[in-house]
Amino acid sequence: MSLELSRNILIGQYIPGATLIHRLDPRTKILCTLFLLFAVSFTRSLTAAVIYLVTILALVGLSRIPIAFVLRPFIRGLPVILFFLSFSILYLSWFQPGSLILIDWGFIRVTSEALLQAALSLVRLMSILLLVSLPTLTTRITELTHGVELLLQPGARIGLPVHELALVITIALRFVPILTEELERVIKAQASRGGEIGELSWKQPRQIAQSLLPLVVPLFVNAFRRAEELAVAMEARGYLGGRGRTKFIQLHGTWIDLIVTVAMLVFVAGVWYATSGRWL
Amino acid sequence: MPPIIRIENLHYTYQREGRAVSALGGVDLTIEQGEYIVLLGHNGSGKSTLAKHLNALLLPTTGDVWVKTWNTRVSAHLRDIRSTVGMVFQHPDNQIVASIVEEDVAFGPENLGVPRPEILRRVDWALDSVEMQQYRQRAAHQLSGGQKQRICIAGVLAMQPDVLVLDEATAMLDPLGRSEVLAIVRRLNREQGVTIVAVTHFMREAVDADRVVILDQGRIALAGPPREIFQQVDRLRSLHLDAPHVSELAIALRRRFPAFPANLLTPAEVADAVIGYCQARTGEAGRQGEDAPGKPLVNPPISNPPISPSPHPLISLDHVAYWYMRGTPLEVQAVSDITLDVRRGEIVGVIGHTGSGKSTAIQHLNGLLRPHAGKAVILGIDLNAPEIDLRALRRRVGLVFQLPEAQLFEQFVGDDVAYGPRKLGLSREEVRARVRQAMETVGLPFEEFKDRLTFTLSGGQMRRAALAGVLALQPEVLVLDEPTAGLDPEARRQLMRHILALHDQGMTLIIVSHNMEELAEVCDRLYVISDGRTVMTGTPGQVFNRAAELRPLGLDAPDVTLIADRLKAAGWLPPESEIYKLPQAVEAIGAVLAALTHA
Repeated sequence: MSLELSRNILIGQYIPGATLIHRLDPRTKILCTLFLLFAVSFTRSLTAAVIYLVTILALVGLSRIPIAFVLRPFIRGLPVILFFLSFSILYLSWFQPGSLILIDWGFIRVTSEALLQAALSLVRLMSILLLVSLPTLTTRITELTHGVELLLQPGARIGLPVHELALVITIALRFVPILTEELERVIKAQASRGGEIGELSWKQPRQIAQSLLPLVVPLFVNAFRRAEELAVAMEARGYLGGRGRTKFIQLHGTWIDLIVTVAMLVFVAGVWYATSGRWL
Repeated sequence: MPPIIRIENLHYTYQREGRAVSALGGVDLTIEQGEYIVLLGHNGSGKSTLAKHLNALLLPTTGDVWVKTWNTRVSAHLRDIRSTVGMVFQHPDNQIVASIVEEDVAFGPENLGVPRPEILRRVDWALDSVEMQQYRQRAAHQLSGGQKQRICIAGVLAMQPDVLVLDEATAMLDPLGRSEVLAIVRRLNREQGVTIVAVTHFMREAVDADRVVILDQGRIALAGPPREIFQQVDRLRSLHLDAPHVSELAIALRRRFPAFPANLLTPAEVADAVIGYCQARTGEAGRQGEDAPGKPLVNPPISNPPISPSPHPLISLDHVAYWYMRGTPLEVQAVSDITLDVRRGEIVGVIGHTGSGKSTAIQHLNGLLRPHAGKAVILGIDLNAPEIDLRALRRRVGLVFQLPEAQLFEQFVGDDVAYGPRKLGLSREEVRARVRQAMETVGLPFEEFKDRLTFTLSGGQMRRAALAGVLALQPEVLVLDEPTAGLDPEARRQLMRHILALHDQGMTLIIVSHNMEELAEVCDRLYVISDGRTVMTGTPGQVFNRAAELRPLGLDAPDVTLIADRLKAAGWLPPESEIYKLPQAVEAIGAVLAALTHA
């Protein structure tokens, strides 16, 4: 295992670019992501799921981000995923009667329906992973936050703390790179003191649990200290809550954004409608 | 004009473990509009507590603080007070709110409810003032320390304050970052009339001030213009502060030669004074007789031999290169060509500014990183060999990270030091013996400290406890990354004493620092790293004699070297003389002055 963490953490990593995907209004990207996320999570049709996955892959291609890079965490986790999937295939095959039995070796039985289910799960997992990474890879985190804040704005009227929520997200995201770096440093420091976290793999869960304490304690202590200092610094800069604040950032959606959003909604709903009620 | 801040008989007490602790015990201070005040004091002297009273982050227990006409106790004026007195803190990372530079600068004005067109104007102006306009769209975490701190200053300026308080704002910066920030601060004071209150424990930074105020045990111990304060070397030391080498040198010379001028503050002033003194006694400027000391010579051409490894080193890095995030679109090369070797029993210094790659370089020394190109051989083990026992290697080469106290995790000091030895699977007695020895070595008596709660230690003690945690592994080589960063002069002196004692016991030391004076004092050899490459190496004398080449790398030679350089240029010191420690300077310059005085 590498001691370099940032390589495996995609959230909050923005890869600059000038493609259409990069230039879209963050609200467009959030809405389209939500449409696809909803559809791919709840469709019961493998055909639909595959169409969605292909669409998502096309979008990744459009953004010029190497697919291998985005899929790296998925591929790394593949052994674990396949392990659990094969269990679920065996389980479903036993307890879901009335479908075509493909293999029957006494205890081990595989049915066509269980296989379909497993394939659907795999496609879903991959789609969701891509969907979650794509907006953050192509949009500055701050723009995403402003997008979320503006989309939620109507909720402020019914008492939703939209401003506070947006600020919390802004700060949380701002500290992702800092805390990642800090964790990496703590791991290295403890390794230099005879700890072994960097050398363990997931095959040794007990040792990992034991060696987590020296990492988690300093990380939390430092995070709390940072939080305290940040609170003082914010206070010193006149922050007294959301009331009476003005806003520096403004987002400007264009007609392209409108077209993209509507087109995506129509497409997603169309595929959903055409495949509803069928497994394949 | 009425004073901008008035402090009257300020007392401040806080609760700690159920006891009342007095942090400030009766401070009276008046700050005039446009003044530049430096607030000095060792850790725990109350200087930061005082600073936090200036904009109502803390309120007095008794006494009053007035900003303009507002008493800080009246909460109705809070927004006015906060926008009048802006504050910048020690860690830039912990005060930047938004990820993007311009949005962070806008945070203050947004809070004040400034209309958007006006915010745009202010952000623009503030970024111009700190010379960071071209970075306005950048992510804050990609900037250097000095740049981040300038962004923090811009964020405060955008609120258009009358007073700028810097609470140890330069403590964590390298020399380059520090001089960047100080230059901006000086300009804001001179050109825009911003009142400055700078809290620091670097005496050198007080040189620019109109007034120096020194706190000790919650009271003002000494106050006055820097020229007067810096002469009181013994008094400063009793307040756990350091007089800058410049004033120590000037005072030492004046003690021997009463005609030597007093009240000198900067290297240039001291050099000019020496030249003036010499010229007054030889009559003519620049020209000297055959036997006059320091006959002007043409500087010998500086050869820059290729840096090659020496035979039989204990540790050798040979053209090492390393990339972070290798194989991803975010790949960056951290070091490109590091060559470095260390022989047994040496003290080797590694200098470079933040981001030069020195931290990456030293992570190769105990196998935390393995070179992507080049060769690293540590204690005879090639890091690129397929099967190596990294844990054994890490035991033999101890690596102490920057701010190592941030990695303490046990409740009790003894347990934390025992972490390493316990991992080795030693017996209870053996672990105990090692912990005892490690703690005693760093000056934390075992019986007294083993059951102390880790978080109740002082900053310096925590640092030493963390060092003990590495020493308990009984390494042969110790690598220290910025061992004294953020400590006050007293804690710094103590720590260096313990580190040097380790060397006397035969340990090989590698010290990474950007504190030139510290490295000059103790190292046998130095390596200068810049832009991921080893660019210079040699004894401290050889390296610092190339001060002109160090400056473009964001590094500076010790002050006494700068003085010596000026004297060499004027022909009063021989160009080949090596001066980088205070005693050397006192002796060499003293000899020149003595020759003239008695002639």
